[in-house]
Amino acid sequence: MKEVIVLDDVSRIYRMGDEIVYALNHVSLCIYDGSLTSIMGPSGSGKSTIMSIIGCLDVPTYGHVLIDVEDTSGMSEKDLSYIRNRKIGFVFQHFSLLPKMSALENVEIPLLYAGVRPKERRERAEEMLVRVGLSDRMKHRPNELSGGQKQRVAIARALVNNPRLILADEPTGALDSTTGHEVMELFHGLNEEGKTIVFVTHDRSLASECQRIISIRDGGIEDDGL
Amino acid sequence: MMVSENIRMALRSMASSKLRTFLSLLGIVIGVASVVAIMNLGQSAAESMSASFDVGGLNMITVRPRGRGRETMIFTEDFSYTLQNEIDGVQEVLPLVSSTANVRQRDEIAESVVVQGVTSGYFASNSLEAENGRLFSVEDNISRRQVAVIGTALAEDLFPAGNAVGSYVSVMRNQSKSFLVVGVLASHDTSQGSSFDDALFMPYNTYTERFRHTDRVGSYSIKVKDGYDAVSVAEDIEDYLDRVAGNDYYRLFSPATVKAMADEVTGTFTVFLAAIAAISLAVGGIGIMNIMLVSVSERTGEIGIRKALGAAPSVIRKQFLSESVVVSASGGLIGLILGIIISVAGALISGWIPVISSGAVTVAVGFPILIGIFFGWYPAAKAASLQPMEALQRE
Ligand SMILES: Nc1ncnc2c1ncn2[C@@H]1O[C@H](COP(=O)(O)OP(=O)(O)O)[C@@H](O)[C@H]1O
Ligand SMILES: [Mg+2]
Repeated sequence: MKEVIVLDDVSRIYRMGDEIVYALNHVSLCIYDGSLTSIMGPSGSGKSTIMSIIGCLDVPTYGHVLIDVEDTSGMSEKDLSYIRNRKIGFVFQHFSLLPKMSALENVEIPLLYAGVRPKERRERAEEMLVRVGLSDRMKHRPNELSGGQKQRVAIARALVNNPRLILADEPTGALDSTTGHEVMELFHGLNEEGKTIVFVTHDRSLASECQRIISIRDGGIEDDGL
Repeated sequence: MMVSENIRMALRSMASSKLRTFLSLLGIVIGVASVVAIMNLGQSAAESMSASFDVGGLNMITVRPRGRGRETMIFTEDFSYTLQNEIDGVQEVLPLVSSTANVRQRDEIAESVVVQGVTSGYFASNSLEAENGRLFSVEDNISRRQVAVIGTALAEDLFPAGNAVGSYVSVMRNQSKSFLVVGVLASHDTSQGSSFDDALFMPYNTYTERFRHTDRVGSYSIKVKDGYDAVSVAEDIEDYLDRVAGNDYYRLFSPATVKAMADEVTGTFTVFLAAIAAISLAVGGIGIMNIMLVSVSERTGEIGIRKALGAAPSVIRKQFLSESVVVSASGGLIGLILGIIISVAGALISGWIPVISSGAVTVAVGFPILIGIFFGWYPAAKAASLQPMEALQRE
């Protein structure tokens, strides 16, 4: 099996005055192509930190991160932004939509940064919104959408540039359980199409639908689920 | 790649905090408005003034005896030659007498016509040419011939049929005297009301003999030699006249001197203007920097999201620089409109021709853009260098 992501002895340290916090403490991990993985752990255990490092939103204090066998250590912000744009789609707990833009415009953003022309941008964004079942909500602003609809917009936005990897940090955390299950259905469908998906959840039943559950505690891996 | 996109985003973000944006823009607005108003008014004033300089010409100086006292007795026709010989840089001094009179030709009467007695050099030194007939010769003057040259408007009034040259006109001043019209002048536009077109000219000596029973001239029209500074020639003439006649007995008019003074005022004004511009625009720039820093810190979350979606630092920097330029330029636009309103009102009140100086428009457009870039650079760089994760955490 091919590794999409490799964390090699990664530590992430925060210095708060005199205190040193090991948000991640010597973590090594592989994520394989086409897998559906959940990450579980108590609050403050380092789940968001690990997701950020996998997604190149943050860089480790020590250790290496390989994306598609390419070492990202020492890469410039520009190179990292390219990886975030082309290879990774993010879904956040609180949706992180831009409030002054319509659903359609939100979905267009990654295409804008990929240099896609306006007409094609529009077409591809519309196509994505249709796929997540929001064909009748394209012109709506985020505050005119329900939580589940917002998360679908966010998923459409994560998918629109056709990345291999979807990273979702507590994507159902702000949703009721029915809506949460609907969003999970979407992830399962995408995984069946071949996307590699990693998501953080507190919900054991959602996690148990995955091939692999990674448990972390105090910045370290308790069980890597293999 | 996304200039229009950036401008759209900038306008959207401005619209979402109109009042705050406007308040931060006041510096730019006031700065640009005052610069535009002052530049426009300066140009209005300059154009209105140079319109009056055009009449006399900058190389002409006029000296007019003042009062009727004994001291003015030296201002005779011969004194022209004295002036010409005594003062360096004087090309020619032409004595002139003038008054107004009614002029008649059969049934046509022209009232209050300016009648001037001039020497033969007068026409050339005022760039006047004959359209029909001829101008005066030295002979006309010496022999005190009763001949006249008339302006085209006067010719049309008196001779609707157009046969002026060779006809006689009567000049009525105390008694009526008959003059043979020998020439009609080509039309000579001056930007001000008083015009050669409506005047009647006769030889200087003819005038003094027939209408004036004194040797004193009406005025001297002095032409400055090419290559000499009219302002300093005027000063020399004043020094000389103060000595021979006394300051109270003549008046000197020198368009070049007036212009030099006006230029000096304008120069002081320009320095003053530059100071206002510099101060208000610096204040304006700080206003821009302030609003941009607020904007960046308020939108840290947005920046984090954009970075997570693949915006490179340069893209974020361009976004915020565009915003700062758009904000600043719109302040400049408001200032431009305000400045134009003020200057047009000011010009109309002062009786000047309202103008919009192209320099003012350049300043109004150019400066705010430069300020937007200069003062927006730091906030934009700050936005560009935010760590994506930290930015997202602050959402
Ligand atoms: N920006 C930060 N500064 C300091 N400490 C941080 C920062 N971000 C996270 N941490 C610390 O790192 C640890 C892991 O945080 P996080 O990964 O957000 O946990 P989780 O997502 O599992 O709740 C926590 O102890 C948290 O306080
Ligand atoms: Mg978390």
